[in-house]
Amino acid sequence: MKWTTSQMDMYLNSKEYVDTAIIPLIPLDWKEDPKGKVSMGEFSSILVEEVERQFKGRVFQLAPFTYLSTEEENSRLERLVSWDKHFYDNGFTHIVYITSDGVWKRVEKDLPDMLIWIPSLSLESMDDTYAKEIISQQMKQILPLITAKWQEEPKERQ
Amino acid sequence: MSEKEHKVSRRQFLTYTLMGVGGFMVAGAISPMVRFALDPALQAGGETEFVSVATVDDLTDEPQRFDFQLEIEDAWYTSEQSRTAWIYKDGNDIVALSPVCTHLGCTVNWEGSEDHPNQFYCPCHFGRFEKSGQNVAQTPPTRPLDLYEIEVRDGVVYLGSIIQRRSV
Ligand code: FES
Repeated sequence: MKWTTSQMDMYLNSKEYVDTAIIPLIPLDWKEDPKGKVSMGEFSSILVEEVERQFKGRVFQLAPFTYLSTEEENSRLERLVSWDKHFYDNGFTHIVYITSDGVWKRVEKDLPDMLIWIPSLSLESMDDTYAKEIISQQMKQILPLITAKWQEEPKERQ
Repeated sequence: MSEKEHKVSRRQFLTYTLMGVGGFMVAGAISPMVRFALDPALQAGGETEFVSVATVDDLTDEPQRFDFQLEIEDAWYTSEQSRTAWIYKDGNDIVALSPVCTHLGCTVNWEGSEDHPNQFYCPCHFGRFEKSGQNVAQTPPTRPLDLYEIEVRDGVVYLGSIIQRRSV
């Protein structure tokens, strides 16, 4: 389900079936390689949209978690942990962070739940069919990670 | 509702909203209508244009997945959206099923679970459907998969709007 009021109604009517929150992690930087950052954001948004489409009835796609690339690693991490806690305490037993930004890979072990990091590919110079093929290849990697997570016990929070 | 009325009412809505308290009253008055319009059970339909999706020669007795693009116009913008259909031959007929699980809308796959050959499987809450689209009892979905309207011209399969069924 998506971050819209109409889908919120659907969520409120079927809460017990929706146990997974998806949080896109999107970097901002208007100084160092702004286009690279935009490309990361664009690529992960496409993947997140597609995950939502496949798993609409069980996942809620949250508003993106955005941060300046210059933000201190600890502060960024702390903020994400508090998002995680908020949504975990309020009904989501599985939380999946999806990003193309490699900085999260470094702190993966400090994250409370599952990180999916997919390096961004530039889709802009590709023709449509090829771009779709790339995305569907990525989906073949991502979807099984999430269904496998559903087989496991939710991660304990501290 | 004609496009013209539509635009006016949208503008009015914004105007009233900007006016403050009046806006709330108006929003209150129209929200039941909006809710009604967005009820997921009623969301389908409305697209009458047919899109070419496959050729008859591509089809077999086994449901195969075909992806295609649709132009969708909603209140705020027009966008290209991907759609999928599971299509197969049933004697002389062609069947095109929507992959959208009738429980809460996840995408189902033909033989998506090894434990359930010859069925469509929904990974979200383990909903299942027979080849005909009939929902399997004791799984969450309560109605069959939707059908696409089909037209065949010169060996090409065109799909149109979604048809909902209470039963197969
Ligand atoms: S969305 Fe398919 S079983 Fe719930």
